[in-house]
Amino acid sequence: MALATSTAKRSRGENLVLRYVILGAWALFCLAPVLWFLSIGFRPRTEIITPEPIYIPTFSLDAWHMIWEDWPMAKYLRNSVLAIFGSVVIDLVLGIPAAYSLARYRYKGRDDIGFYILSTRMMAPAIVAIPIFFLFRNLGLLDTIWALMLIYAAINLSIVTWIIRSYMIEIPKELEDAARTDGASDLRILWEIIIPAVLPGIITAAVIAMIFAINEFLFTLLIASTPDAYTLSVALANFTGGSDGLIYNAIALVAFLAFVPVFLVVVLIQKHLSRGLTMGAVKG
Amino acid sequence: MARIELSGIQKKWGTVWGVRDVNLDIADEELVVFLGPSGCGKTTTMRMIAGLEDPTQGDIHMDGELMNDIDARDRDVAMVFQGYALYPNMTIYENIRFPLRMRRVPKSDHDRLVRDAAALVELEDYLDRKPSALSGGQRQRAALARAIVRQPQVFLMDEPLSNLDAKLRQLMRVQIKHLQRQLKITTVYVTHDQIEAMTLADRIVVMEGGLIQQIGTPDDIYNDPANTFVAGFIGSPPMNLIQGTVSNSTFTAEGLSVPGLPVDGDRAVTLGVRPEDCHIAAGNAHLEGEVYGVEPTGDITYLTIMAGKKLIEVKADRDYRAELGARQSVAFDPSRIYVFDTETGARMR
Repeated sequence: MALATSTAKRSRGENLVLRYVILGAWALFCLAPVLWFLSIGFRPRTEIITPEPIYIPTFSLDAWHMIWEDWPMAKYLRNSVLAIFGSVVIDLVLGIPAAYSLARYRYKGRDDIGFYILSTRMMAPAIVAIPIFFLFRNLGLLDTIWALMLIYAAINLSIVTWIIRSYMIEIPKELEDAARTDGASDLRILWEIIIPAVLPGIITAAVIAMIFAINEFLFTLLIASTPDAYTLSVALANFTGGSDGLIYNAIALVAFLAFVPVFLVVVLIQKHLSRGLTMGAVKG
Repeated sequence: MARIELSGIQKKWGTVWGVRDVNLDIADEELVVFLGPSGCGKTTTMRMIAGLEDPTQGDIHMDGELMNDIDARDRDVAMVFQGYALYPNMTIYENIRFPLRMRRVPKSDHDRLVRDAAALVELEDYLDRKPSALSGGQRQRAALARAIVRQPQVFLMDEPLSNLDAKLRQLMRVQIKHLQRQLKITTVYVTHDQIEAMTLADRIVVMEGGLIQQIGTPDDIYNDPANTFVAGFIGSPPMNLIQGTVSNSTFTAEGLSVPGLPVDGDRAVTLGVRPEDCHIAAGNAHLEGEVYGVEPTGDITYLTIMAGKKLIEVKADRDYRAELGARQSVAFDPSRIYVFDTETGARMR
């Protein structure tokens, strides 16, 4: 008996060590690209492209100065932030009522409408790229942040609606019945009861929309033709060509800049996020 | 304070009947309990009174005013739910205040009304907690406070005690009855628990299959059941219902012979007798069978007798003991024997 216990203890200890080794290795694997960015970003350009291995890297702020001084990086950053936040606000303003309607009201064609909303996500974006270009040109919105906001919002509206809907379905109907007999109107119920109750879902949806928006490239490239509407993701592309050739260290730094805010937000709300994602996955 | 009249109420979803035909007049200040198994239409009927469901047919009047087209939020009705339905993001104080805000009660009165309602259910010390920090009983009291805070015309309670443990349920039952008497508010209470129904109700409405089976005071329902459904649903253990035949006013079934029944001719009937109206007898009695089970509970001993293939429950004296398989005679209290038509289930008098 005593032997069995000590064996069990030891094997549990070994298990724990093994678990940490595996998790540590996985964390390193995931973080390696980020560390690689940093390592490239803060080295001189010549050192990066030399074929010989370098064991002791030289620290340099060349690329850092370059992206801020030679390029309007602050403007790109501002464009990214404005377009993304604007799009998320639009998504929430449209997606929350849509989700509520899909989750709670019974009407003809409700499921078809729900599917239609989701199906906008199934299409290859390139198919609509040209029509959208003409649409925005006719609206006079080409090369503006407004166009980016609208297009990001359109891309993400379906997923935002569906994530929030999956949360709303989980709310006991009794809560709404109680509010109704207490004298609340439908809008009141949505505002005072439903939205606070699905806040984790709303945050999850907003973060996912944000991540998709920050990574959006195709439409941004199509709509933005001058630095007035360039975002970080398109700015990155500017370092890949032209007379300067591939500027690896600048690319690495800009990519890192685009990564950090998303990373921080995800860390801050990871509890909600994991719940939100699994909830959407199991119930839907 | 209001009188509620339901006339010819029906509710149908597609081809599924919720409520088939309900006619009921609830007096002002009365506490009426809808009792029945799940799916009998009791909750649906209540939700129609609340305005949360529209009747497919029939009219609902409150104090003579037709309510059919009046929205739930505009009916002066407060409801308490089985799952409490407290708003999770609000404190207990905000929960209780919510109906006051929605119904535009002057702001200056809010604090006093909320505190008065909380005091009635002894929740003054919990007002700034969130519902999640309260026990089940406290949550249900908070839900009660939210219902009484604006002194509605009608209280609707949908199985409010089902989620509580037995001890708390008894305590809350007494509190609800006390509150209702104190506030004099017409109340409709839905439950599948016959003890709750018996203890709380001025009148019980027994429902089954979307139809009212019987309306009456708890005493009426218990002592004068209208049919086998009501007879079998009320009482713990329920009434013994024994199928057999009557000939020359004498009922016979395997192991049973009961003379002097008010039934003419020969026909199949069901005999009903409550376990407490069965008495241990020596020799010549109504029933003779084998002892199938003896369950002492302290204050009473439950005896189960097998007569033919039928098990008969008897509430015996606390000291009663018997060997399994022993022969035992049982006599019925002749004034408390019920006869039902086996085919329709209706009482024969």
